[in-house]
Amino acid sequence: MEIIIIGLITGFLFGFLLQKARVVRYDKQVGALRLLDMTIIKFMFSAILVSMVGVYFLYDLGQVDLSIKSTVLGANIVGGLIFGLGWGMLGYCPGTALGAMGEGRMDALWGILGMLAGASLFAEAFPFLRDTVYEWGDFGEITLASALNINHWPVIVVFIIAGLLLFVWFERRGL
Amino acid sequence: MFKRTWSPYFAGALSGVVVILSVWIVDKYFGASTSFVRAAGMLESLVAPERVAQLEYFQRVTPQIDWQWMFVIGILAGSFIAAITSGSFKLQWVPDMWQKRFGFSPFKRGITAFFGGVLVMFGARMADG
Repeated sequence: MEIIIIGLITGFLFGFLLQKARVVRYDKQVGALRLLDMTIIKFMFSAILVSMVGVYFLYDLGQVDLSIKSTVLGANIVGGLIFGLGWGMLGYCPGTALGAMGEGRMDALWGILGMLAGASLFAEAFPFLRDTVYEWGDFGEITLASALNINHWPVIVVFIIAGLLLFVWFERRGL
Repeated sequence: MFKRTWSPYFAGALSGVVVILSVWIVDKYFGASTSFVRAAGMLESLVAPERVAQLEYFQRVTPQIDWQWMFVIGILAGSFIAAITSGSFKLQWVPDMWQKRFGFSPFKRGITAFFGGVLVMFGARMADG
């Protein structure tokens, strides 16, 4: 029971921050896809850079476990392409659709209904997908650091530098 | 502070801190799309429980309310409170950018959003995002 309440509080904080930065709305999401407005990329990268440092620091102290998703080229690439096509049409991703509804963007409701239908469809298609796209290029639970056989901190430093350079470039271009 | 838009760098970095605390305290990483599978399974159980019991995917992702499900509901609530307290809540069926390009077409927008949603979820689950 307690874990469910913590989930609600965590989501509340995240939804609050998403709305404060105005990243949940269609114009911002499609604006990023059209390379006109990089607000969501700034938000996303800031969150990634901060959590990357914190989580790996705690990992080194033995305080947390990582949750590494399998790299399966077939499923990742085909799934990513389908997701991208849908994202351009819907203009919200699964989490932000709820956030968009929270600030009154009711068109997100149709997207949420579509996503529920898509989830059902996926459950029906899963046996077929398991024997096809999930079989293509399965590298297991790898990370950049493990694939390069190096410590994770050099990778983190490179990401931070690349992220900061990207931010500077966005601000110079007024994106 | 409460009326203004926050910098995406500041709000994003704070979200990063929320991620760290979540992983540290309850071992939970952020995600949303799995909850749609659970919700779809719960809804389907109302009309076709035998079909849900048959499907392998609903055994892997059981149709029940969990941490992430409530996390997704929390996003709705958090966004609502932030919008109301800052005066940026706006009831709208057609987004501004859509209207500028395609005119005020709530039906066309609804159909596109629905089928976009189908693809978004199918792709997200396939790529395990």
